[in-house]
Amino acid sequence: MLQIEQNNLLLEKTITELINSEDLKTVERLFTDFDFTTYHVSNLSDEKSLILVSIYVKCWNDLVKYGVESYLDSKYSKFSKFLTKTSQESGYDYSFNLDLSILKQESIEVQDELISELSNLKRNCIAAPFEQAFKRYDELAQAYANVDVYSEEVKQELSNESVLTINYRGMDESIYIKPSFDRVTVIFSTIFKDETDKIFGKVFLQEFVDARRRSVQTAPQVLYSHNEPPLDIKSSVNHHPNENQGFVTFVLFPRHLTKGDRRDNCISHIQFFRNYFHYHIKCAKAYMHSRMRFRVKEFLRVLNRAKPENLDEDGKVIENRKTASGRRFEIGRA
Amino acid sequence: MASMGTPAVVMDNGTGLTKLGFAGNDSPSFIFPTAIATSTIAGKTSKSAAKTSFLASKRGLEDLDFFIGDEAINAANGANYSLSYPIKHGQVENWDHMERFWENSIFKYLRCEPEDHYFLLTEPPLNPPENRENTAEIMFESFNCAGLYIAVQAVLALAASWTSSKVKDRSLTGTVIDSGDGVTHVIPVAEGYVIGGAIKNIPLAGRDITLFIQSLLRDRGEPDTSLQTAEKIKQQFCYVCPDIVKEFSKFDQYPQEKFAQYIVEYTDKNKTNTVDVGYERFLAPEIFFNPEICSSDYLTPLPTVVDQVIQASPIDVRKKLYKNIVLSGGSTMFKDFGRRLQRDLKTLANERIELSERLSGVKSTGVDVQVISHKKQRNAVWFGGSLLAQTSEFKSYCYTKQDYDEYGPSIVRNFSLFSVP
Amino acid sequence: MSQSLKPYLTAVRSSLTAAICLEDFSSQLVERHNRPEIEVDNTHTPELILNPMAIARNENEKVLIEPSINSVRVSIKIKQADEIEQILVHQFTRFLTSRAENFFILRRVPIKGYDISFLVTNFHTEQMLKDKLVDFIIEFMEEVDKEISEMKLFLNARARVIAEAYLTPFD
Repeated sequence: MLQIEQNNLLLEKTITELINSEDLKTVERLFTDFDFTTYHVSNLSDEKSLILVSIYVKCWNDLVKYGVESYLDSKYSKFSKFLTKTSQESGYDYSFNLDLSILKQESIEVQDELISELSNLKRNCIAAPFEQAFKRYDELAQAYANVDVYSEEVKQELSNESVLTINYRGMDESIYIKPSFDRVTVIFSTIFKDETDKIFGKVFLQEFVDARRRSVQTAPQVLYSHNEPPLDIKSSVNHHPNENQGFVTFVLFPRHLTKGDRRDNCISHIQFFRNYFHYHIKCAKAYMHSRMRFRVKEFLRVLNRAKPENLDEDGKVIENRKTASGRRFEIGRA
Repeated sequence: MASMGTPAVVMDNGTGLTKLGFAGNDSPSFIFPTAIATSTIAGKTSKSAAKTSFLASKRGLEDLDFFIGDEAINAANGANYSLSYPIKHGQVENWDHMERFWENSIFKYLRCEPEDHYFLLTEPPLNPPENRENTAEIMFESFNCAGLYIAVQAVLALAASWTSSKVKDRSLTGTVIDSGDGVTHVIPVAEGYVIGGAIKNIPLAGRDITLFIQSLLRDRGEPDTSLQTAEKIKQQFCYVCPDIVKEFSKFDQYPQEKFAQYIVEYTDKNKTNTVDVGYERFLAPEIFFNPEICSSDYLTPLPTVVDQVIQASPIDVRKKLYKNIVLSGGSTMFKDFGRRLQRDLKTLANERIELSERLSGVKSTGVDVQVISHKKQRNAVWFGGSLLAQTSEFKSYCYTKQDYDEYGPSIVRNFSLFSVP
Repeated sequence: MSQSLKPYLTAVRSSLTAAICLEDFSSQLVERHNRPEIEVDNTHTPELILNPMAIARNENEKVLIEPSINSVRVSIKIKQADEIEQILVHQFTRFLTSRAENFFILRRVPIKGYDISFLVTNFHTEQMLKDKLVDFIIEFMEEVDKEISEMKLFLNARARVIAEAYLTPFD
């Protein structure tokens, strides 16, 4: 598996099973997604055809500031016949009420679409601030289309553009988004809990930085700074110097922000950066483990050659090895 | 929610099936074969790459090219993947494959960042401590998981039985009969510790029942005698009878009620076959109680084995072991399995008591035999893990990444036993 | 093989062959004990310890051989050019030492200033062929360097592929 999937397999599976099961069963499932996201799928009251789907997102309060609720409403309004927003379950941030009795009457296509949209629930939550920032970029691009952007006033104005902050993993790790007229800057702050991760992370990030220069010219520009927040967001970061912290900056250019599929794709792709990045650090470590296991086996084989009564390389017992002149090895006289 | 408010991950990797899920649920989220299909190209290069050239690892993505579970079975039908089972006889044999199996379980199926979750893994009884250390090494060093608890499967099965209304005192003493696909284990547990010397294995389990049904179908010349059909018949129709001879005559007396028909459906919707289901309904599970009807080399009935196991355990726990016999695993799911076992075992125990009373002339207080079956039996181990891992104390029993970094892998040789409020 | 590696390994090989000349020797201080003299405090019995020798290829790569009457301790400092190699060496040696019981002669803890230590006692030489033991240590030194540099190469290659795989779908 190279890429991290965007949708939640388990949510997809649960909903699919609910739709396809012939008789209605009681459900009570609790499961998670990356970044402390939790889902809860359960029956609403005693009515087995009414399903309550709730999500908890760590950074919900930040998301609310950036219009997540209206974004989700617009995203799921087409399913309003059987999927309605309800007051959120306690402990969760957003809840849907899914009416199976109506949904089961719908065509397979509608069901499939619902399943796929619903399994992207977390993606859509985090997408809200990105959508907002990109919208702001559209405005700015229009406003400054015919203005000398190099003049001091304009520069000043642009640098005062507010930064969207999403503390998606608590206070330590955040996403900062800063729109401008010709780009949108997305900055991830990330923390390495483990010494090995930190070093591996540096190697990986260096390649992210170099990749654009070397082969993927059309990719967003990537910058990496260790420990020191980039200037763009300096004012909005409440920064405590931390040895293990790093800031990864993605500069998205207009070509990445083309409206439509490309923009959607860009949003889904960039928000999983941290998961992708840490996943691959772990895979690299796992691969190192298998290399080391292999190496240990090799070393042991060499060492076992030193044991005269031991097995030879093919695992056969060597008995009474003799020298050419027919003398035996004498052990212990070495 | 606290920063570690995330539910713990419970993974039960068995020889045949892996059960994955989050604590707090009443059944695992995923159940799939513990199989991994690795790219055959990678199979060659991983050896030679480690040996010689860096060229082979230039693209270097072979180690990410694999599938697990049902996807692995599908992929292995193609040419480029080979299937292997990293767990043999309950113990991990191939750590490279196991590590990648976990990698995919965590990131693809469960979708969680292991740094944010505590993990509960299971191990078979008598697992060597080195295996535990290897597990911890992978979980902590590769995945940086927040905390880890490794529990013995039999103990979790005992904990799972606490949901049964028959269980009153919630002790961790009892005999676990764990019958999956390959092997049936009878494991005595005292105060949460497995009595290793007394464990017995029976080489009869789910697969043997299926094969036995298949052979009966073949003998009768049914139109469909595939393994899948036999499997379905086993799951849908089989039950345990109190007495074979009487059951045979019942079949003769009330054929309408007893004989059944199973309609085989194929992927091609138009084609169906009808298979008659007859005496195998009660004969198949009977192999546990009368192994001679199907096997010629293994002849000890299950109740006798259980009795032997308990007799081999220390004398002061035997009464408790008789009183709390817990079933676990899919092959114990037959209707009335527990009742029959209890009856046969009681007969054995009473015979012994009578004999000793006659010999010693002292009146015995008697032995209470109780077999407990409950609703969560099929995935009892996983369910027990889920129960344990959702308690608020669970985290205090785990070792954290910090503990591991400080003491090294040997820390996982001992886990404190959980007690439940 | 680079210019200076061969003489370095040759020097280690001959020094080791000379140093592993051990005999069974009971402790002079504790009755009925037999302990590797190099590992215990020998302020009272300095005659049991021979002069240690250090063979260095450069300041980053060296071997320390400490012989005594019934045991030899061999410590190796593995080349670490940057922090990546440092962490890789650290991981690798930790992986090895956690499996020390399989390696008989591997010491669980390296001595200060070195990355990995071996302890060869007379009991080992009684059960194993001395030349092969030396072979093992030499091969170990060769392979470790190779392995570390291969792992580093792998890491860089992997990082490159991963970065490209992530950045390509943006367009």
